[in-house]
Amino acid sequence: MVSEASGSGVGRSAEAGLLVSPAGLAPRERETGGLIRQAIPVVRGLYLLASRYFAAILLGAILLSILGVYLGWGKAAGGTTLMGEQIRNALVLGAIYALIAVGYTMVYGIIELINFAHGDVFTLSGFYAFIIAGWLGLDSMATSGIGGLLLALLIIFALTMAAAGLTGMAIERVAYRRLRDAPRLAPLITAIGVSFLLEGFMLVKFGPDNFPTHNANWITGQAFNVGGVSIGTKDIFIVGIALLLMFALGAFVRVTRLGKAMRSTAQDRAAALLCGININRTISVTFFIGSALAAGAAIIYSINYGSIQWSLGFRFGIIAFTAAVLGGIGNIVGAGIGGFLIGMIYVLGGSLVGGEWSESLIFAVLVLILTFKPVGLFGIDVTTRA
Amino acid sequence: MLRFFRRPVGSAQRAQGSTVFWILSVTASGLLLMGWLLPWFVEPTASGIGTSPQDVLLNPAGFADFLIYVIAATMLILVLSPLVEIAARIRKRQLPQIADRARLIAAVAGLALTVAVWLLVRYILGPRDSTLGPIDSHTVTDSAVWLTMYGYGVAALVYGARTWVLSRPNVAFGLVVLPFGALLPLMFHQAPDFLLWAAASLAVYTLLGLGLNIVVGFAGLLDLGYAAFFAIGAYACASFASPNHHIHLPLWVLIFIGAAVASVFGGILGAPTLRLRGDYLAIVTLGFGEIIPDLATNNVLGLTGGPSGISGIDQPSIGPINFGTNPQWFYWSLLILSIIVVLLLRNTEHSRLGRAWVAIREDEVAAAATGINTTSTKLLAFAMGASVSGLAGAFYGSIVTIVTPEDFSFSVSVAVLSIIVLGGIGNITGVILGSFVLTLVIFWILPHMNEWSMTVSAPDHPISFLPGLGTVNFTQYTYMVYGVALILMMLLRPGGLLPSRARRVELEKGIESESLAAVQGRA
Repeated sequence: MVSEASGSGVGRSAEAGLLVSPAGLAPRERETGGLIRQAIPVVRGLYLLASRYFAAILLGAILLSILGVYLGWGKAAGGTTLMGEQIRNALVLGAIYALIAVGYTMVYGIIELINFAHGDVFTLSGFYAFIIAGWLGLDSMATSGIGGLLLALLIIFALTMAAAGLTGMAIERVAYRRLRDAPRLAPLITAIGVSFLLEGFMLVKFGPDNFPTHNANWITGQAFNVGGVSIGTKDIFIVGIALLLMFALGAFVRVTRLGKAMRSTAQDRAAALLCGININRTISVTFFIGSALAAGAAIIYSINYGSIQWSLGFRFGIIAFTAAVLGGIGNIVGAGIGGFLIGMIYVLGGSLVGGEWSESLIFAVLVLILTFKPVGLFGIDVTTRA
Repeated sequence: MLRFFRRPVGSAQRAQGSTVFWILSVTASGLLLMGWLLPWFVEPTASGIGTSPQDVLLNPAGFADFLIYVIAATMLILVLSPLVEIAARIRKRQLPQIADRARLIAAVAGLALTVAVWLLVRYILGPRDSTLGPIDSHTVTDSAVWLTMYGYGVAALVYGARTWVLSRPNVAFGLVVLPFGALLPLMFHQAPDFLLWAAASLAVYTLLGLGLNIVVGFAGLLDLGYAAFFAIGAYACASFASPNHHIHLPLWVLIFIGAAVASVFGGILGAPTLRLRGDYLAIVTLGFGEIIPDLATNNVLGLTGGPSGISGIDQPSIGPINFGTNPQWFYWSLLILSIIVVLLLRNTEHSRLGRAWVAIREDEVAAAATGINTTSTKLLAFAMGASVSGLAGAFYGSIVTIVTPEDFSFSVSVAVLSIIVLGGIGNITGVILGSFVLTLVIFWILPHMNEWSMTVSAPDHPISFLPGLGTVNFTQYTYMVYGVALILMMLLRPGGLLPSRARRVELEKGIESESLAAVQGRA
């Protein structure tokens, strides 16, 4: 008599002695009925299917779009060369997204904050790299020969990453630390504030237009040619550096004491504190590493594209965040893979439906992931996050 | 008389009352300062009170200048008095009561004197007296005197009716805001047009803040794509009142269309995000807020006119009055509309629906357990917030007569968010205050800083002490203002300038991570 919708406790009491009339327990919705009510199980079933096979659907869509570019559906011209070039571009872009996404995912993993300022730290590091190269005269050094190039790259990566890391630590110290135990809305709003502060600073300091950097011609030449697709040394360098940095980070988190401290802080902050881990230092280090990786992304971005703009970080940030969510937020490897997947979706989707739609496409993917599979492809199901 | 000045007892009352008291004091001194400095913001072209203070200072002569000195002295007293009060408060957390009386006398005297001088200048001396110069032609003087008078009025209210202000903080604030809002076009009745546009955009931003306050403040759902609904309202207006589709509907129909279309989109956005909470919801709404301008840029279905947008939107009119030539009518109608919206929202806030929103904000599971239909309640929050935004968007469209996708970027969403964070999340009065403060800074102070810096840094100017000042573009600092406002408010005063009570408890005490607080010995 008692409907299955009411809880088991109620059911037992009703069976025991019918303390409550079963009619009173029947859910109200029963009485209304209608088309919408009949459609609900269908919608729910479709929803469950979509969320269960989300990874398969996404990979299928990517493979289909590679095929689409190859066959020349939509606005793409078609052919092997185009497909190869688009995959190359997607990998380069994906490497940049992956490096930024790792910063998002680390910060979210450890203090559950969407660090809106991260995208702007990325842009700011691009300007840092420009200033440092100008100060030390790295441009002439880099173009003087292979030895000079390696030295210049070493210097610029080290200094820019250090500067960006310190910026990230300073942001955490000033803006987020005090709000660590506040409700989650508060640090999120502060993060938006930091993002706007940085963007405003860059707008005032470097002007509203595209800001040319000189390191686009640091690395030139073609490495090899695969079936008509020319792969430049630059492309190999970019993807290689991104992978190297991410593997270094993975090793750091897995092997070192500090990495262990980071993992335990992410798992349970109170328990980590009880074990004697210095939480403030651990979180600072997390911000340092995340921002340093964003700086690495900024350097390879400016080496590849040769310019930077004050508002660049905002959309790059959202796209990279999408990558982090796609890979399962809090999961470093997932963020890396997500970055490359998002690069694929961006480039291939853009060449199928038109480049002006590629950002909308990414935002649509973001909305779809969060709606159907908020834990991402490689995430663990934590109910409070969804 | 002494009883009149005594501070009221009761800590809760004092806690909120003193906030309003501070805001009013700062408002009064801000208005006074603005009225006082307004002449400096304008190119010095002639002698007189208004246009060129340094002329007055350099060549003191005659009765009018004496009056100016008297006014300046009383102004200084009033401007300094809040500072004195701050110092006193910091020192002993108590007010010297004699200072109150002195300030009241100064306020009343200053008000009377300013009225007298204004009448003198405007109606008796002005057109004839050559010593005062061609003041009548300089509307700046009028605006300056209006602002000063209003500042004195607020100061008199604050210092004269202290007990009353402290016991009815929101009413007192409303008494300040409403007349100020009503007087704004009067103050600038002949002033440059852009001040009127600034007043109109203030009203638009107030409406936006009120709408976002439903979603963020009442229901606790952080919406970072609020500009999308604004865009939808504006584009709805643009489509139905422009040569673009050859449809010309009057604005009074359009605002309902804008509100309806926006609320439908609010529901559409709300439906898939119902399962999400907190920051994930924020990100989804942010994505939505980026998709809508992208759709408009890419001219989806040929409806939106691409990157250049839709232009030539009709200017509304009532009978012979055309709003386009008389921009203050926009302001008046927006003011009336805002008052209606405020009244409706106030009633909703205390209705069954409003209480359901608060319950969901505090604890969704518990709210569902008490029988609240969380799905429809959250959807209603989204739809209602969106409809207010659509309303504002329809007005915005007919004010600016051209809508382009760039008008609805993320910075608009953040501007509205800054307004409610600054004013006080969840408090209607606070939201109004926030929109006043922020639009004043963005649309009034920063552009005037530009003029001022250019004037001051001119080589022949007597006080050109900072030569590089003229090249600074202060309007570029808009982003930094938003950022600093958000950071400082969250760090120093998370409830906003005028916090709502429930929200303040939640934000300042913190409800999460109690175990950690216990471990660190802070609980």
